Amino acid sequence: MVENQDMSVQEAAAIAANARTRARKELVISAPVVYMAWGLVWLAGYGAMWLSVRGQHPYRGPSGVSIAAVFVLAGFAVAAVLVLVHRATAGVGGQSARYRRIIVASWAIGYLILLVVQAAIGGSVSARTLAFVGLAGPLVLAGLIYILASILGRDRPALVLGAWLVIVGTSCTWLAPPAVLATCALAGGGAFLLIAVIEAGLGAHAS
Amino acid sequence: MVTLATLRDGDDLSFPRLQELLGLTPGNLITHLRKLEDAGYVTTAKSGSGVASRTSVSLSQHGRKALDTYMAVLRQLLDSASTNGASPHSRAWQARTESARPCSRIPGRED
Repeated sequence: MVENQDMSVQEAAAIAANARTRARKELVISAPVVYMAWGLVWLAGYGAMWLSVRGQHPYRGPSGVSIAAVFVLAGFAVAAVLVLVHRATAGVGGQSARYRRIIVASWAIGYLILLVVQAAIGGSVSARTLAFVGLAGPLVLAGLIYILASILGRDRPALVLGAWLVIVGTSCTWLAPPAVLATCALAGGGAFLLIAVIEAGLGAHAS
Repeated sequence: MVTLATLRDGDDLSFPRLQELLGLTPGNLITHLRKLEDAGYVTTAKSGSGVASRTSVSLSQHGRKALDTYMAVLRQLLDSASTNGASPHSRAWQARTESARPCSRIPGRED
């Protein structure tokens, strides 16, 4: 390291800019990539299930293949997001780490509750109600988690997305199961993709 | 300091990760951090013991304000230099911004 008292303004500014760019690249979780990954999963997953129930009379539910596809897609998305998050957050402690643990726990507990409720009401409610809980339930849960994350992280796009997902999910109460799938795919998955584009634009503008 | 400023308020960065990001040797980084800590710009904390011990570094509020001031001054100087076409290589500039230049004392590096 060479002592350089004669550093020019441009040199100082360049050092600061380079350090900032590098730090943001290494330490900031890429929100557009995360939203894009989830958007594609929701769009393709719900879309595949919708395709499998089109023309079903009476409604029997999504095919095993489409459900398996959802799990595979979700598995890839979870793995990709975990890698991204781990890279950005390695060595970072403090408040963000605590909030991340809260969010992960909320996801896990939320899905567990959803599965338990589905199993509990399985034989005693209409196919439409069961479809709402099983199909739109994850969307509503995702919305609530994003609202929680937005409160913890003071993240406005996440608040907007979360509120939208809750509205879309709960409005599925009035829809038939195939329409629930189509709505979740387009309005749910589409919202993630739109937020990804907006976040990418905001990030480009900020830099 | 620019690297630490990327973190949110309330977050800290482990010493090894900071070292990796800055590409400094441990000795160099400790020297820089000591100066910044003496100036009140960063805080270091040690937790755990033995193999599980962890040294973390975070930017203080004072450090964040000082960095913001420094960056604002840099921007002003760059703007005026591009407007006037004048060379910024002046001791007068250095003297004027001395108090708002927490990072320039660190030779050639932004922590």
